[in-house]
Amino acid sequence: MTLERHILDSLSSGLLVLDGENRVSFINRTLAEMLHLSPEQWVGRNAEELLLVMMRFAQPLAAPRFDWPEAFGSREIEWRDAETLRYFREDSAALQPEAAGAGRVLAYHDVSHEKAVDRMKSEFISVASHELRTPMTSIKGSVDLILSGFAGETSPEMQELLEIAQKSCDRLVRLVNDILDLSKIEAGQLKLNLERLDVTEIAVRAVCAVKPLADKSDVRLRVDRPAPLPMVEADPDRIEQAITNLLSNAVKFSPPKGDVVVELTADDHWVQCAVRDQGVGIAEKDLHRIFGKFQQLSEGRRRGGTGLGLAITRGLIDEHRGSIWVESRVGLGTRFVFRLPIGSRPSPGAAELTGKAVKP
Amino acid sequence: MKLTRVLVVEDDADIQKVVRMSLKMRGVGEIVVVDSGSECIERLARFTPDVILLDVMMPHLDGYETCRRIKQDPATCDIPVVFLTARAQKADRERGMKLGALGYVIKPFDPMTLHDQILALFPGAAGGKGEKGAGGKP
Repeated sequence: MTLERHILDSLSSGLLVLDGENRVSFINRTLAEMLHLSPEQWVGRNAEELLLVMMRFAQPLAAPRFDWPEAFGSREIEWRDAETLRYFREDSAALQPEAAGAGRVLAYHDVSHEKAVDRMKSEFISVASHELRTPMTSIKGSVDLILSGFAGETSPEMQELLEIAQKSCDRLVRLVNDILDLSKIEAGQLKLNLERLDVTEIAVRAVCAVKPLADKSDVRLRVDRPAPLPMVEADPDRIEQAITNLLSNAVKFSPPKGDVVVELTADDHWVQCAVRDQGVGIAEKDLHRIFGKFQQLSEGRRRGGTGLGLAITRGLIDEHRGSIWVESRVGLGTRFVFRLPIGSRPSPGAAELTGKAVKP
Repeated sequence: MKLTRVLVVEDDADIQKVVRMSLKMRGVGEIVVVDSGSECIERLARFTPDVILLDVMMPHLDGYETCRRIKQDPATCDIPVVFLTARAQKADRERGMKLGALGYVIKPFDPMTLHDQILALFPGAAGGKGEKGAGGKP
């Protein structure tokens, strides 16, 4: 046995090589053990036969696939052997044409441990959120009721102090919501409820949601849409959340009587949504960190922001396979722009049947 | 329309008080508070409220299971159930709504508007949408 063969057999990941005619040219020992077969019997046989063997373990929809349309692909598959369920990441790469016979190489990495950690993380987020909300309910409830006068009169000083407690509690609630959202995005556990929608409707909804805040700050809101938009596939609640975040930021940083405009445009590939304000603007040195976590400008902190809004907004747009950026000039205002792709969801069979595609 | 009889199912003593005061402030005459899902089922044999406000995370019989039992019993299935819970994730809401709840209100709620929020969930109420909460998003 050659040294190369020893090396490949010692890998903890399963390895399969198919030639240009879709025949098995190599199976390492790890994959052979996963499939309970002897590698020697399989060399030279058609990959479709091997696929049938694999489907006994990776049932029913998450069968391994050898016909990746792209040069590289990666996804998770479920692997059930007797009573044991494991998760594998299947990486597939086209062999270079100069390699003997071309073809594909497929690697199977056991990611069960990572999945278990993800699950624990998700449970932790859920439990932590619940445990934080419960005492916040009592604090907020009690303070609100006292402030309402229900429990008797309060002196102006007491009133002022209770209002501080109330404001801080509301901020804490927003912070818990934001941390929960961001944790889900970062753990890849945000579930999008996709539907075909017109971003105009979502923008109008977001404007209505932010209007009370704008009225209070004497800022005018407007939606500009020169032409009807093509439909996009997106989660309406999450896109509304993204636009609402951008709008409330724009309002916070706008001078009285300022205009905040949502500009909606499209081309053949994208629907674009820009939120433009006439506020103080962002210095060039700060632009690169604006989408970071807790990277607030002082005005944002003063106005009760959590410092996570833009990080969440970027995460939400990324999840939709869109892009987001900012343009700003100090003293002239800021323009946040995001784009959503028109009709570019992955085809069923790859990511959707198995849950999610793994980001490269 | 106004709520007159409310059954509150909540295991946290402090939140029990806040809910009770919040409803009392809005003139709800009869507020019965119980600590657990099983007590709720027992109480329904002799008390028919306008609405049940049901927490989810409770020992032994949780809110989901309590709701399932209420909705399965012909004697209680018509009593509206509104979840009042700190379980704020979208999947939790969907689970609650699938069990036949009228609505899902997330903690922390606003005690000043809790009564109206619940009323708005009833069919025919203006703005009734089924899912509300001061804590807002999932």
